[in-house]
Amino acid sequence: MSSSDSSSSYAGDPGPIPFDNQFKSLKLEQGSDSTIIQKDDAIAQEEGEHESLSENSNNHQETSHVQDDRIDGGDVTSVAWRRTSSEVEVDGPSSPSSSGYAGERGSSGASDDDEIHEVANDGGIDGVFDSQAAWLPGKRHVNEDDASISWRKRKKHFFMLSHSGKPIYSRYGDEHKLAGFSATLQAIISFLENGGDRIKLVRAGKHQVVFLVKGPIYLVCISCTEEPYESLKGQLELIYGQMILILTKSVNRCFEKNPKFDMTPLLGGTDVVFSSLIHSLSWNPATFLHAYTCLPLAHATRQAAGAVLQDVADSGVLFAVLMCKHKFEIPLDATAVYDLGLNFRLTSESFSPICLPRYNPMAFLYAYVHYLEVDTYLMLLTTSSGAFYHLKDCRIRIEMVLLKSNVLSEVQRSMLDGGIHVEDLPGDPFPRSGSVSPCLGQHQQPTDSPGRFREPSVGIGGPAGLWHFIYRSIYLDQYISSEFSAPINSPGQQKRLNRAYQKLYASMHNNGNEPHKTQFRRDENYVLLCWVTPDFELYAAFDPLADKGLAIKTCNRVCQWVKDVENEVFLLGASPFSW
Amino acid sequence: MGCSSSLPDRSTGRLGGLNNSESGGVADAKNLRVKLVLLGDSGVGKSCIVLRFVRGQFDPTSKVTIGASFLSQTIALQDSTTVKFEIWDTAGQERYAALAPLYYRGAAVAVIVYDITSPETFNKAQYWVKELQKHGSPDIVMALVGNKADLQEKREVPTQDGIDYAEKNGMFFMETSAKTADNINQLFEEIAKRLPRPSST
Repeated sequence: MSSSDSSSSYAGDPGPIPFDNQFKSLKLEQGSDSTIIQKDDAIAQEEGEHESLSENSNNHQETSHVQDDRIDGGDVTSVAWRRTSSEVEVDGPSSPSSSGYAGERGSSGASDDDEIHEVANDGGIDGVFDSQAAWLPGKRHVNEDDASISWRKRKKHFFMLSHSGKPIYSRYGDEHKLAGFSATLQAIISFLENGGDRIKLVRAGKHQVVFLVKGPIYLVCISCTEEPYESLKGQLELIYGQMILILTKSVNRCFEKNPKFDMTPLLGGTDVVFSSLIHSLSWNPATFLHAYTCLPLAHATRQAAGAVLQDVADSGVLFAVLMCKHKFEIPLDATAVYDLGLNFRLTSESFSPICLPRYNPMAFLYAYVHYLEVDTYLMLLTTSSGAFYHLKDCRIRIEMVLLKSNVLSEVQRSMLDGGIHVEDLPGDPFPRSGSVSPCLGQHQQPTDSPGRFREPSVGIGGPAGLWHFIYRSIYLDQYISSEFSAPINSPGQQKRLNRAYQKLYASMHNNGNEPHKTQFRRDENYVLLCWVTPDFELYAAFDPLADKGLAIKTCNRVCQWVKDVENEVFLLGASPFSW
Repeated sequence: MGCSSSLPDRSTGRLGGLNNSESGGVADAKNLRVKLVLLGDSGVGKSCIVLRFVRGQFDPTSKVTIGASFLSQTIALQDSTTVKFEIWDTAGQERYAALAPLYYRGAAVAVIVYDITSPETFNKAQYWVKELQKHGSPDIVMALVGNKADLQEKREVPTQDGIDYAEKNGMFFMETSAKTADNINQLFEEIAKRLPRPSST
């Protein structure tokens, strides 16, 4: 506590909150029929017909998979965790027992002021703004507050606040101006908590207000997107995970010392990270599937990449991963390591503390991030804050091997080719025997030239009106989704399909009783077909006029296809993320 | 890009010029290798200064630094010595303050940056100076830099305040603009000249 930083002062300490105002400010549009749904009242929604897939004789129901927070992020190309057996030697100080917010600095230099103090600098939001066509991370609409009509009309708000009602994060608007609104949310939560109860959801017209309490941190989502409660709650979990990744759980201690602690200065400059996470919630199936996806690579290539990463993993690096932007995900337990990775600067080597709660929620690990190519980066994790130069050496070694073995060029090519296309679904459903399995890397071999890549819009859809599918391997915690093809071309359509899958996922998993095995649902936009087995889950979207029998047959072919190429689309033989 | 060595030779006022064999790392008398750390409040332009110096670029939309980033750049001086700067560009946010020792420990040079349009960042700069005087290596070369000098009309920290504070604390002072590249190369050349040289020659 010696450090000194007292020259600065809180910029935006909201001060005492006018209590009489608080309830006024929570005006939910169409607030006619508000219901509070108490614990365990699952909202099961059941529409659509159910029908078993013909082949499905497997009656296993208990899909009791743990829904832990995962991330969303880029394609994992290859991953190596250091073997747990040798972990012990790595470091003393940053073991789980260490304490204090910033006390977990890994090794060395423990003596002087280790704490990150409650001292604010100017508290300014220095996020980057940009209103260009493509989506860019960064906070929007900072000038709004709860009095602004535009703010009230936003479809989906996320808030983080402290148990004393201080704002921590808001997706839209300036946190400090939302002090009154935060206090209202806090009042609602603590009113119910004082009665020994817990608030989970408020429905008001088409708005849902979802609450999540994490110790001294409260998270709230107000949404009129009609996403299921479970999905929204999962999203709040991810946002909380993102915060922990940045600050570790030891931030809770700051609240023990001072319940009125203002956390916003500690999160200064992280708007970008949160906004890109929230953005990906609408686009990235990883956020509700709790799984990650791999960049399709020839088996040998992936093995080569894995080998070199494993090599450094044996040399004291805890975790090594090669990631490619622009698809989905890495799965560490926290949240957006991937998002974080994307926010590092392309031009240099970065070294930053991050917290992986499932490894140790109280301590930091150190991430070394270096972009090997524009969209490809290598991340190395270590427990030692002094290991930068070692990691740098490791990176140089890895980069050399990857270059020499052509892994990097394979990775680039795979990114351009863009994965699996429904149009390429092999036509022949049954003859397994003797036929050469279709290979991802081969389907367009003849015409391949380095610069060539497939336009995403040339797709015409697969057989039987198949537009898109997602296949999730339960055992591997990984999924593969096909590239979007016509007519799912526009971002709006892709977002809508993602939401439809999300709803489908929730309806298959969150009905209190037995999980469903199959679901066939037809509406004006799609035919959606879902098939859940103990080994995998398949989500497929068809033309709304698709024939049911054909659609089911096609799904079986998709499953066979994915099994045939699983060497290339999945990272096998590693369960790298289970601690 | 890189730096020309065409600056008029000024006196090399050496600060506590002990040998720096330990701090910052050296190669030999002709080829120095020094560890340099940039400190200062978030948003003052530390990364922009580095980017301008290392790549000759300026990106007004550059991202917030996460943790710290590492770059290096070598410059040649008139006396045919070369200096390789290994630059630690630290994040200015509060949550990283506790990690700063990680980066400034063993640094031969600290460049403390503030924004001439923001008095708070000048205060924060003074905090870093004190911190380094307490915990930095004793022979560290410190530079105080007022950045964003192109924003004259928004200036809120008078040049004289910077000069005075720097003088009182044995630092050298410069106002720069990463945007216009004004004084950026000069800053690093000036630093290079002030480095304690390994004995001999």
